[in-house]
Amino acid sequence: MRMGLGRRYAVYLSAFTLASITLALAAAGVIAFRQANILQSQIRAAVSTVQSTNEEERLRGTAQYLAGRLFNPLFGLDVERIDEEIAQVRRWLPIRDFLVTDPGHFIITDGTDAKLSFGDALDGVWPSADSGALLVTDAGGRRQVRFAIQSGGTLAGFAAVTFAEDPAQVGLRRIDEETSNLWARHRTSLLGLFLGALTLILLLGAATSAWLSRSLSRPLADMSQAAAAFSKGQHDHPLPTDSHDELGELARALRKMSEDVRNHEGALRDETARLRRAEAERSELMADLGRKNAELERFTYTVSHDLKGPLVTIQGFAGMVMADLGANVPKQVKNDLGRITAAAEKMQHLLTDLLELSRVGRIVNPVEVVSFSEIVADTVELLQGQLREKDVEVSVTPDLPRVRVDRKRMVEVLQNLLENAVKFGMPDRTPRVEIGLLRTEEHTFFVRDNGLGIDPAYTERIFNIFEKLDPKAEGTGVGLSLVMRIIEAHGGRVWSDSAGVGTGTTFFFTLGPSCWPGSDAATTS
Amino acid sequence: MANEPDRMLRVYADLLDELRKRLVPRNVRVAPLVIAQDVADLARKVKHADVDMVVETAFATFALEDQSEHGVTPRLAIVRRNQRTYHTVFFTRKDSPVQKLEDLRGRTIVLQADRSTSAYAVPKAEIGRRGIRLVLAGQVAQSKASAFYLFAGAELNQAVWVLNGKGDAGAFNEIDWASLPAKMRAGLRIFHETPPLLRGLLSFRTGLDARTKAICEEVLLGLDKDPTGRAALDKAAGVTRMELLTSKDVADLAAWRVTLKGASR
Repeated sequence: MRMGLGRRYAVYLSAFTLASITLALAAAGVIAFRQANILQSQIRAAVSTVQSTNEEERLRGTAQYLAGRLFNPLFGLDVERIDEEIAQVRRWLPIRDFLVTDPGHFIITDGTDAKLSFGDALDGVWPSADSGALLVTDAGGRRQVRFAIQSGGTLAGFAAVTFAEDPAQVGLRRIDEETSNLWARHRTSLLGLFLGALTLILLLGAATSAWLSRSLSRPLADMSQAAAAFSKGQHDHPLPTDSHDELGELARALRKMSEDVRNHEGALRDETARLRRAEAERSELMADLGRKNAELERFTYTVSHDLKGPLVTIQGFAGMVMADLGANVPKQVKNDLGRITAAAEKMQHLLTDLLELSRVGRIVNPVEVVSFSEIVADTVELLQGQLREKDVEVSVTPDLPRVRVDRKRMVEVLQNLLENAVKFGMPDRTPRVEIGLLRTEEHTFFVRDNGLGIDPAYTERIFNIFEKLDPKAEGTGVGLSLVMRIIEAHGGRVWSDSAGVGTGTTFFFTLGPSCWPGSDAATTS
Repeated sequence: MANEPDRMLRVYADLLDELRKRLVPRNVRVAPLVIAQDVADLARKVKHADVDMVVETAFATFALEDQSEHGVTPRLAIVRRNQRTYHTVFFTRKDSPVQKLEDLRGRTIVLQADRSTSAYAVPKAEIGRRGIRLVLAGQVAQSKASAFYLFAGAELNQAVWVLNGKGDAGAFNEIDWASLPAKMRAGLRIFHETPPLLRGLLSFRTGLDARTKAICEEVLLGLDKDPTGRAALDKAAGVTRMELLTSKDVADLAAWRVTLKGASR
């Protein structure tokens, strides 16, 4: 659950207040508890001292009290009342036996219902009948007090009281109980006070914390809302900029930033519109260019295809003329017919290459995933005769990668490049061709030879159609144009590199991303 | 009547509540419990119709009948602690020459208090039936045939006094005799016992209408039939149940009435 700034501050302040007050009250409680324990111990010690020093006097006082209580009922032989008195005394003194006798020391009652000792003579030493006479004896390890029950010189009888335990200890225990009860009540009061104070302080603390946090967090919350509104483009959202403190400065900075953003957004919108217009124009131009290229390709195809017919006619009729003339053909005519036939053949080659070049943009072969090593092998196999004739050494980098290409066209690329290497070899050296791959960021295939090389000034011109650096060389000058068209159709590019004449030439070419297996795009040729 | 009105109010409170629960639905209003100071006070309350129902001993009921000019009529016997009747026993020291009531002439009998039925009224009547007049000890006897009496205040004291020679004989009911400490009882001897007397009586004010009386009787007789009623009865000084007086009860009561009246003269 997301907790707002104000609520979080309130919780922090409340928790801090609660912890502080709790600690303070707990400390006060501990002090009070220790003081109460000390006080209880001191009271106990004081009472113990007083009781032990005045025991004789205390017992005498007790005996006199009991004698005073028992005289009337004993004198009147009111046993029921004597029993009631004994029961009363048993409630506050630890009495084991309480025997009341007549003046002849015969037991009248022992305070019990059964009265098992009724009528028995109680032996032993007895005090005199004087008022206040007291005899403390030991009865089976317990203290026994014997005293006369008399008043005004009249003796009603005697009493023998055996204590179950030291009355002083009972007194101390009673004091302990009383002080413990007192302390328990005190503790309850303290706890009540503690809880009451805690509740009150918690309420006050929570209210204060809420008020403080609101006053602190409200401007921040306003600015947070304003920032959120600005991010949605609502730059008119109000901000508390009239405050003269740091928050006011922050609000003003936020306002200025908002205005800057609004200005930049306007400029960005204008630029975006301009770019969109330019993109539309470019697209239109590209489409127009595409249409014109297509038209040009159709034209080239039509011209090259349609011109082939008349050319065949010319070649045919030139041959027929040569046959009609037979052996009597004048030398000059024979030479002329030979030139017509040679020109027609040359034109035939030109038209064939031109037709092939136009097909690169129109005829589409299915693409397949194939190892480039296989494509190289196909090409070398195709040119096996030429290579053997010229004794060309071909070396191929092993394990060339798999590619997704128009296999037939890719063989044509290597075929043209290899034929060039064979065609333009140095007469004094064994032709060598190396086919491989530079595993750089953009994988680049290369075909390197040790042939004539190319003047660096012509490394780009050689890709133009019908461009021949050596007019006497074989071919029509379409081969490298064809290579460029095929590579470009595969999304790649081709270029050549040579240090100059006699240094050999290296042709490099790349393939587009769609030609690498794993890509979904298709390649066309 | 009671010496401790607060205790009586307390022990009879549940019984009163129980009666209220059972009588009010039958259109009988239950008034608060009344504790009288003495028979005269109770007789006044009966005459003024402040009281409709009285629970008392037989002796007090007879006195009330006299003083209220037959303002009450006993209807139910009260059984306490499963005991419907009791009787008075006369005892003396084992070594005493007293063998019969007539031997008490010129001697002193220790009684409990003048409010007691079994330990005063009945013994006094039983002795009086033999032509022996009882005189409070310390007073001058009108004839040599008189006997003297003392009040010891409690049954236990009566026994002790007899054993210690303050009196020659004592009298109380057989239940108190049974509850005496065995050692005391061993020093005493019973020399006479009276016929049984009902332990308690419930009487209605004579003028109370018959319907109300009948409903009250029905409810009172049914109290011991369920747990709450039994608990309320038990709390009321150990009442076990109430029973309708039989014709024999009525005849015995009439005989006792004559006896006690004779004794009071």
